[in-house]
Amino acid sequence: MSLRKVANVVGLLQAFVALAMLATGLVALGYGDGDAGAFFVAAAVTFLVGWATYMATRFDEDVTTREGFAIVTMAWVATAVFGALPYLLSGTLDSPVAAVFEAMSGFTTTGATVFSDIEALPHGILLWRSMTHWIGGMGIIVLVIAVLPYLGVGGMQLFRAEVPGPTPERLRPRITQTAKLLWLVYFGLTAVLAVLYLAGGMGPFDAVNHSFSTLATGGFSTRNTSMADMSPFIQWVTILFMYLAGVNYALHFRAATGRILYLRDEEWRFFTTVLLVSAAVVTVLNLLTGSSTGAESAVRDGLFQVLAITTTTGYVSADYEQWVPGARMVLFALFFVGGMAGSTSGGVKALRVMLLLKAVGNELRRHLHPRAVLVARINGKPIKGEVAARIVGFVILYLLLCLAGALALALTGIDPLTAIGGSIASVGNVGPAFAGLGPTDNYGWMTSPGLGVLTFLMLVGRLEIYTVVLLFHPELWKARGAFHG
Amino acid sequence: MRVVVVGAGEVGFHLAQRLSEEHQDVVVIDSDADQVEHASQHLDVQVIRGNGASISVLKRASVKNASMLMAVTSQDEVNLVACLAAKRLGVAYTVARISNPDYYEPDSVLSREQMGIDLVVNPERECARETFLLLKNAAFTQVAEFAGGKVQLVGLKVREGAPVAGRTIRNLREQFEGGYHYVTAAIVRDGKTSIPKPDSTIEAGDLIYLLAPTAEMEAVPPLAGYDRFRLKRAMIAGGSAEGQYIAELLEEHGVQCTILDRDRRRCVELAEQLPRSLVLHADATDLELLEMEGVSGVDGFVASTGNDETNLLSSLLAKEAGARKVLSLVHKFEYLKLVPAVGVDASVSPRIAAVNAILRRVRRGRVVTVASLSRIEAEAIEFVVGASSRIAGKALRDVAFPKEGVVGTILRGEEIILPRGNDVLLPGDDVIVFAMPEAIPEIEALFD
Repeated sequence: MSLRKVANVVGLLQAFVALAMLATGLVALGYGDGDAGAFFVAAAVTFLVGWATYMATRFDEDVTTREGFAIVTMAWVATAVFGALPYLLSGTLDSPVAAVFEAMSGFTTTGATVFSDIEALPHGILLWRSMTHWIGGMGIIVLVIAVLPYLGVGGMQLFRAEVPGPTPERLRPRITQTAKLLWLVYFGLTAVLAVLYLAGGMGPFDAVNHSFSTLATGGFSTRNTSMADMSPFIQWVTILFMYLAGVNYALHFRAATGRILYLRDEEWRFFTTVLLVSAAVVTVLNLLTGSSTGAESAVRDGLFQVLAITTTTGYVSADYEQWVPGARMVLFALFFVGGMAGSTSGGVKALRVMLLLKAVGNELRRHLHPRAVLVARINGKPIKGEVAARIVGFVILYLLLCLAGALALALTGIDPLTAIGGSIASVGNVGPAFAGLGPTDNYGWMTSPGLGVLTFLMLVGRLEIYTVVLLFHPELWKARGAFHG
Repeated sequence: MRVVVVGAGEVGFHLAQRLSEEHQDVVVIDSDADQVEHASQHLDVQVIRGNGASISVLKRASVKNASMLMAVTSQDEVNLVACLAAKRLGVAYTVARISNPDYYEPDSVLSREQMGIDLVVNPERECARETFLLLKNAAFTQVAEFAGGKVQLVGLKVREGAPVAGRTIRNLREQFEGGYHYVTAAIVRDGKTSIPKPDSTIEAGDLIYLLAPTAEMEAVPPLAGYDRFRLKRAMIAGGSAEGQYIAELLEEHGVQCTILDRDRRRCVELAEQLPRSLVLHADATDLELLEMEGVSGVDGFVASTGNDETNLLSSLLAKEAGARKVLSLVHKFEYLKLVPAVGVDASVSPRIAAVNAILRRVRRGRVVTVASLSRIEAEAIEFVVGASSRIAGKALRDVAFPKEGVVGTILRGEEIILPRGNDVLLPGDDVIVFAMPEAIPEIEALFD
């Protein structure tokens, strides 16, 4: 474990974060809300610190797996810390903890906010929130790998540690090319959505912000009521694009280039089925109990909220806390599922849920046939026993983390239901939760310790637990140099 | 015709024997002294000791005068190199025994042409195919395919009270008009084979051989007094290559399949390869486990380990437990005779299956296919009618066809014709003839 290497790569990444701040600052200058200066100062500080660190710690060796974990985790921590500067410098937030929370919520595409009156914020800050979503959605490191081939062999370690899902697909032999293609799909979809929003009557500023937020499955809006007051057309377009953002980007790429049909992908079928069935249940319950009026709005509300939760976007089109318990419980279950592996969404991921169900099915079958040798398959391909075991381990760890988070929140004095909801929504990078953190509430009332816990949970959830948790494993720090790989 | 056979193992030995019986000049090459000794003592062939893949050894076998080389050692690579070398030395037709599908699959980097191979035979797959056909058609003791599977030759025992029992061939044709689409190719009674004439009678207890379009075969067992049989569940004891291929065929045909092997790592491989089969880590002779996994209720059971004794024991246990049709793979020729005695329904010899597969597909003059059947002397031969064949253009009743032979089916394009006396053979027709060995030269002359 070489801290020098860690500092080096993290420093370099901050230079990129500074560029994003600079771009936001220029837009802010155009709107003249008076927050542009904060961005320029933040950009300058971030760039200088990042670049100086980078120049002072240059190295020639490759990055090992262990260093990869540390680099990715520290990169995200540093990005959230520097990303909090604009909030503090512009005076929109006074508490550093709240500012880091807001930045972390942005980069991890959680979409939980401490602001109660969003519409009062200056344009620059609003854009920065959406910008953090957009950068964090596909991943800071994936972005840098796409631009900078120099990360080389070590790049794969970082890529693996950052991309959601058990084993990231390689679309091209070189990791740089893969990263470029992923960003290409991401950028293309974002541009299309922005045009559709414009066509639907949204102003240019709102259109850009919401398309950033939707494709990243983030959830920050420029409106106090999120998506609730938008036209049905805008909501339908958002439904479609939340769905697209929840699908594996590598699958999008392969489908667009005609190499595979969506229908042929088992995880896609599972993900889509879960969504449709859940939406149908919610819609029917809402129609029966009169929570929604009219068939179209019932279907739209059902689909919208199911997708907003499952893809972990966290937009709100209807206050689901007013729905019947059955419908709320469906949503609660969906907090865990998440999107497909290789998408921008959070949660456990459809692939892991599917494999877990298959593993459970195999265990049941083993009771009938004690001598059976059973192999779980995805898309007809057998999954090796150790991979399946790791996935089961992941799900258990995920649930334990949710529980531990809820416990920590409750210790800060928050009521249990709110604590459970907040913990699950943060680990899954969803945003809105239940009770005190419901769809119409915000996180502004929480104390600093509570926000600190949630900030940590969001990070661990975004980096899929192992990357961060391994840093706390003593063996990672021992046996230095004895193991490279 | 001079034929070089590389490898004097069980496949090579049997192949050389069959070819020499057909009056071919056979040269056998093997590097093992014992095999060489065995072959030279038992076969009327020239035997050379040496590496069949080496050019000098092939030259010593004067391979350039040979019209055919069959490389059938158990090593794919030796067979490949032998064929490649033989082709370079001017051999017209080469046959390679290859087990690893990587070497012959269509998307393989090296095409068959590049490797100088005219025919690739995978003995394990041939054996699995034959076993599968026997399993699927429970009443049959033997099944051979012709014309790419469009026509089958089947053998089955006529039961007491069967609709066909006690009738003459002519009577059958008249009585079952519109419902009897079969040519009775041979009758075996008391161990003696005869080619039936129109007034021959089929008796209960006869082993009869029928030729017909594959699609019509489903109705055969009831005619011979068997219940309709549908293979729904099968169990395969032994995860050998043959066992795996059988399971693959069963899966393709929607049969619920259980396969077991005693090696755990092999089981994992099988589980990965066979998505719809249940793979069990167990011994083929573990009766308690077989019963727990429902061996008594299976329609078909195949013992397919690499060990004959285990196979016979395992199939006996399965038969005893109540499996409906029980098959066993038998490698040693000496054990084949035991199969009826121990009560196993049918057996398949991987080596004979391989030899048949080779001989059936080698085009020798006008002959396309030969199927030798293990329990009778008669052979089924697929001829192509040439423009200059003596038999071309004549009605069958006007041809002096030998008494010990019968024209089974005529394939004209996609059409399958069951011949009558007034049918005329046209050039290009594929004709399947069933004949006793003594009549074969005369029949060959008719088609020349």
